[in-house]
Amino acid sequence: MNESEVKKLWQETNDKLDKTLAIHQLNTKELFQLKSFHFISSMKPIKFFVLFTGFLWVGLGVFILGNMFIYTLPETNKFFLFSASIQVVLTAIALIIYLYQLITIYQVDISDPILKTQKRIASLKTSTLWVTRILFLQLPVLTTFWWNYKMFQEWNAFQWVITGSITFAFTILAVWLFINIKIENKDKKWFKLIFTGKEWTPLMKAMELLNQIEAYHDEGKENFNQSHQ
Amino acid sequence: MTQKEQRQHFQNIMEQHMGILHKVARSYCSNEEDRQDLIQEMMIQVWQSLHRYNPQYKISTWLYRICLNVAISLYRKNTTRENKYTRITEQTTQIPMEEKTSNEMQIILLEQFISELKEIDKAFMILYLEDKSHAEISEILGISISNVGTKIGRLKDKLKTQFSQFNK
Repeated sequence: MNESEVKKLWQETNDKLDKTLAIHQLNTKELFQLKSFHFISSMKPIKFFVLFTGFLWVGLGVFILGNMFIYTLPETNKFFLFSASIQVVLTAIALIIYLYQLITIYQVDISDPILKTQKRIASLKTSTLWVTRILFLQLPVLTTFWWNYKMFQEWNAFQWVITGSITFAFTILAVWLFINIKIENKDKKWFKLIFTGKEWTPLMKAMELLNQIEAYHDEGKENFNQSHQ
Repeated sequence: MTQKEQRQHFQNIMEQHMGILHKVARSYCSNEEDRQDLIQEMMIQVWQSLHRYNPQYKISTWLYRICLNVAISLYRKNTTRENKYTRITEQTTQIPMEEKTSNEMQIILLEQFISELKEIDKAFMILYLEDKSHAEISEILGISISNVGTKIGRLKDKLKTQFSQFNK
């Protein structure tokens, strides 16, 4: 089958399009009143909830910890204070990235060329990986916030080995995840294990799309190089 | 432009180019319900982008950009979409072959071929089948004209293989 036959076939398929699609009946006046469910990333209530609770948590944290720093610093358990502060700071950074990502996605110009627009959307979506990386950095402080000065005076070696090992393991794990959670590792088993589930599907698909876009750009570069050799 | 004029302008565009929306939707959506949702979303996006229309581009170029961008984004987002086009195996072709004409089978084969393409390749394929010039494909997709030529060559090869396998 040659090129013109295939194109003719395509035209025939188009002719068979169902002309009675209900959308034809859609009154354009109604259309102007319709709200887009947004093709890129719908602001589902769950996202508002995440942002709301996130900022509430950070706000509360800043208020309580700020008061401790200002008014009760000498008598406050420093392990708790610094662990909690690190946790709140990391959560705040993750939230800011998440919010920035949501706002920027809404500003994408849909009438730009396909590869430019899709790359921008996919890149923004994959920036969710940064949120995850930063949140994993909290792991070590979750094991230290309850430490206190009594431990140093009363604990035996065995207790310290157990506690120290847990904190050390969490620190290694957090740093390792922070370094290794990146697009290049998306096909690794451990990566798929972390990012399994429906909520991660858009992220995985965005990474797949970025690969497709890169393939197009790489071919373009190859062509350019070949033509200039 | 007043809002009334803008609405009229929008309606004119839709009347003249509704086919673009249908073709794109049909290539990216398997069932009618999804297709209607997609077309509706495309129309909303066209309406919302109308004030940004740059007359340096043909209206069809601008429309293809919007429709394909919406289709790719929705396609990626919708994870539950089922695939209408079942793979044509020996088993499935044996029975319909007797009942359907060769032309109908080739149409199914073409639809199946398109449905199995990746998102960006699918966009490329639609533009190629619509007989768009290399320059226009390049403007819509945002790749170089020479890259368009290479990609078309590859797609033609893929198509040939697909149809020759079927003819065997």
